[in-house]
Amino acid sequence: MSRLLDIPIRMESIERTGGLGGGVGAVLTELAGLLEQLLLGVESAAIDLRSLPMSADDRKELQRVLGEGELEATLNAEGLSTFRETRMSGVWWVTHRDRDGEIIAELIEVARMPPMLLSSPEEIAISAHTLRQIQPKGQDNHSTGAPHETRQ
Amino acid sequence: MRPDNSELTVGDMLLRHGTSRRGFIKFCTAAASAMALPAWMGPAMAAQLQHARRPSVVYLSFQECTGCFESFTRSFAPTIESLIFNVISLDYDDTLMAAAGDQALSALDQAMKDNFGKYVLIIDGSVPTGAGGGYCAAGGQSAVETLREAAKGAAVVICVGTCSSFGGIPYADPNPTDAWPVSAIVGDKPIINVSGCPPIPEVITGTLLQYVTTGKIPDLDEHLRPKAFFGTTIHDRCYRRPFYDQGKFAKSFDDEGARNGWCLYELGCKGPTTYNACATLKWNGGTSFPIESGHGCLGCSEPNFWDKGSFYAGLSTAEWGKAGESSPRQVLELATGAAVAGGALGVASAGSGRLRQYRSEHPLNDDPKED
Repeated sequence: MSRLLDIPIRMESIERTGGLGGGVGAVLTELAGLLEQLLLGVESAAIDLRSLPMSADDRKELQRVLGEGELEATLNAEGLSTFRETRMSGVWWVTHRDRDGEIIAELIEVARMPPMLLSSPEEIAISAHTLRQIQPKGQDNHSTGAPHETRQ
Repeated sequence: MRPDNSELTVGDMLLRHGTSRRGFIKFCTAAASAMALPAWMGPAMAAQLQHARRPSVVYLSFQECTGCFESFTRSFAPTIESLIFNVISLDYDDTLMAAAGDQALSALDQAMKDNFGKYVLIIDGSVPTGAGGGYCAAGGQSAVETLREAAKGAAVVICVGTCSSFGGIPYADPNPTDAWPVSAIVGDKPIINVSGCPPIPEVITGTLLQYVTTGKIPDLDEHLRPKAFFGTTIHDRCYRRPFYDQGKFAKSFDDEGARNGWCLYELGCKGPTTYNACATLKWNGGTSFPIESGHGCLGCSEPNFWDKGSFYAGLSTAEWGKAGESSPRQVLELATGAAVAGGALGVASAGSGRLRQYRSEHPLNDDPKED
């Protein structure tokens, strides 16, 4: 059998139908509104891409319009997640994958920084406590280095 | 699958398995997405779910093909293993459990006894009532008897698949086993129908997770389906909808319109009258869904879908009408009085208010026998 790509099926492109299709225009308008709200101090927001009736072509078109920015962060927890800031500052394309590499959620977040990337106060406190407990062999509390001195 | 684990919260179990805070939020974000909840609900759900008790779940399979359970096991977010290990205590499921025979039935009795009034009862398959219930029996007990007994102590009954929700294919004409949906047998418990042949995996796990998270029955439509997943028609959310609006239709499965990916309405697509989440959640981890693969929707999540005429006749000619309404054959039977007369006899023999109600709403088959 021939390759899948050889099967003569194609989706009519956006160029052929004219303008942005499949709700791409609506998403861009929504994002503009969310960015304006972010400037006014409203909390971050997100659009779940899986809830939108988009074809693969529509998805690509949305990605193309938003473009790629300078920042990219990865999170390795229960699988890899990527947080890519788009060409539009404050608009992040977020992809969560499971341990098998399958996409389990895909979102566009509007935020200065995606909240999931921020360390929580509880975890920071635990880290501080842990560092206090770590003592190099042969040293006591009084001869510990910088952390102890910083507290003074 | 140990009952004592049900005392642990979801947060306890996740910590026990070494899941980090971000990993847990990610799990909840994916789950919220699968549950069609707003994207910002992930972190809020994480906070709530962390303290939720893991409910005991009893999964019973009756007259079915196991397609629904196969679908259940293929959920990407949440996965069935993450559900079993973290979110629920699956105390009985005869497909998954290692135990068999008396050991398995003892586990079922114990789970129902230990968690009476609190467990989630999941039913997969229709309930055959013909031949004294003999078409489907396990451990010397018919499916009807098992269902009635199990439903007594359930907090909620979740019907997975069109067979348990609406009777499905066993209920279709001529219904040789006198099969009925769960709602025709169980009348005094909250019922959630997760229809589909099979249902979308994430709709099954999402419905279960939504119940565990909130402890409440979600908003349901007139067919007792969660509105989060069955609130809009497939047509409403179909990516081919712009072609429908432009009047661009495929006329055959290999014409220019089909190759261009135009609307499949004239090829019999039942998307306009079918409520389900196929167009958004899709299948196989969001890979595709039937319409994206070039075939029209069969309407498998709607009542009586098998008896509503050809899958390949356009809606305008197949007389599917509004979603959930009677099929053309039912309408014909009603018009000629055949079904009405049959119904009166059936009601007299059954003598059950619940069955009478179902009978009046679904006048296709004879009433289920009481025992």
